[in-house]
Amino acid sequence: MQAGYWIRSKPIYGGLQWQHKAQAHVIIASGEGGRAVLRLLQQQLPPQAIKVLYLPEAQADHSHALRHMLQDVLGLDLASALSRHDTAAALWLALDEVLTASRMGTRIYAAGDEAFLWQVAAQAALHGVLNADIMREQAASLARAVYCVHCKTISHHVNTNIATCSGCQRQLLVRDHFSRRLGAYMGLMIDAEEPGNVPDILEIYP
Amino acid sequence: MSALANKLMITEPDIQTPANTSDQRSQNAGLKVIVQTIREVAEGIREFTLVSADGSALPAFSGGSHIVVSMPSGTRIYRNAYSLLSPPQQRDHYRIAVRLQENSRGGSRFMHQEVKVGMALEVAWPLNLFALSRLARKQVLVAGGIGITPFMSQVQELLRQAQASQSAVLQTAGSKITPPDFELHYAYRSQDHAAYVPELQALLGDRLKCYDQSQGVTLDIRQLLAEQPLGTHVYTCGPEGMVQALLQSADELGWPPAHVHHEEFLAPPVGSPFTIKLASSQQEVQVGADQSMLEALEQAGVDAPYLCRGGACGRCELEVLSTDGTLEHHDHYLSAEEKRAGRKIMPCVSRARCDVIELNF
Repeated sequence: MQAGYWIRSKPIYGGLQWQHKAQAHVIIASGEGGRAVLRLLQQQLPPQAIKVLYLPEAQADHSHALRHMLQDVLGLDLASALSRHDTAAALWLALDEVLTASRMGTRIYAAGDEAFLWQVAAQAALHGVLNADIMREQAASLARAVYCVHCKTISHHVNTNIATCSGCQRQLLVRDHFSRRLGAYMGLMIDAEEPGNVPDILEIYP
Repeated sequence: MSALANKLMITEPDIQTPANTSDQRSQNAGLKVIVQTIREVAEGIREFTLVSADGSALPAFSGGSHIVVSMPSGTRIYRNAYSLLSPPQQRDHYRIAVRLQENSRGGSRFMHQEVKVGMALEVAWPLNLFALSRLARKQVLVAGGIGITPFMSQVQELLRQAQASQSAVLQTAGSKITPPDFELHYAYRSQDHAAYVPELQALLGDRLKCYDQSQGVTLDIRQLLAEQPLGTHVYTCGPEGMVQALLQSADELGWPPAHVHHEEFLAPPVGSPFTIKLASSQQEVQVGADQSMLEALEQAGVDAPYLCRGGACGRCELEVLSTDGTLEHHDHYLSAEEKRAGRKIMPCVSRARCDVIELNF
């Protein structure tokens, strides 16, 4: 890769910030994304209703801190402000219910690893929410989901520049080309022309 | 016309038209049409039905499209954009409606006073700067007065989507895709100023909501926008004040900009005369007081780019190299920041208050 090289489909993520022109706020987070939500809650609070949907992970569970912050510090009604879910399926079901009852002007925020951010986008798209309508923060890991262009399998949590496809076992070069629909980067066979000639495998997405 | 539009037109298989289809003709040549009927549809609003001069099918278009009509008047040619009112799938005629502007430079006056049944006119191929979003869950259309025109073809497209989804094919396929719900809100000064109300009522039933100001019925735009479900898109066309009020309410309520659509075609306002200097040829072109920069360039034989001629599409953008006065931006294309910077101008509707302006063209 040389200076100035840039793949335009590669998403750029900032930090979450309240959109003060709004009718309501819905925040969806998983695992380490909970820390991003806590940072958001430290900013000047908007006057509209706030709802946090949280999916804790084994290594990253910020449920207690979120509960304290929302209820004890900010004085919000916990029953309406926080819903904690043990499984992804339960989270998506809850999100579906919330969005069904939502009006235009509901601002949507997502925090978690990159795959999670685009799962939120896919769920919200069923309600006519466009990609550009969602505020996102990539929390914790830079791990990538990688779509194998040969066997169409998506390998998750890839931390290296070259990864073994979980579907066909090919050695895939992880590109910057990103599909918002799949929430994954393009991976293509690195040694197709010279079998066995695989460069050093480096951890570059810790 | 863009290369893309050209490609789409030619590669699309055509099942309904005979071999002498108009699609093979060059788009740059424009379409030759004959005025078939003229009728008054409201106070000061006249409707024209146009059929192709050689009897071939006219190009198909999508809901919200417009055509630019060329109007030769004396030594000048006026070119104004008018929305197509006819159903998009109907290719034997086009319908447009023209309101007589009180301070018309000539375009709408020409259409009202000089155009007669049987007269030949040249129109540009249909172009859509006001297309319906394919991702919307609900469509809210808001028209004010003559601003009803682009919605005439849009409601036809939405009705067609609704009917298609009721067909057994989609039902048995178990498709989760349901067409968007839609409603049309139509505000007007009085019954006499309102075109097409009976026609729309027959088509839309409860989906049409009318607001007759003379009866004290007004549209609360903020309330309307506040109660829309997630995934709604709003479209508006009408008087400047109404459009601005809608854009402001949407912004304040937190509607993302991509869900808010508006269309306004402007007539070039009059101003004081000045001179354009073209950097490449060093040619100097005089712009008259009631002439747009684009019209002056065309009259001088300069092949300047354009599409909508109403300050909406941005195709005619030219770079300003210098001027000894100030720019008067009238378009809806450049951002407020770009207008302040003064490096770009839309010659179709904008002009300058100066002696000379140098353009990089």
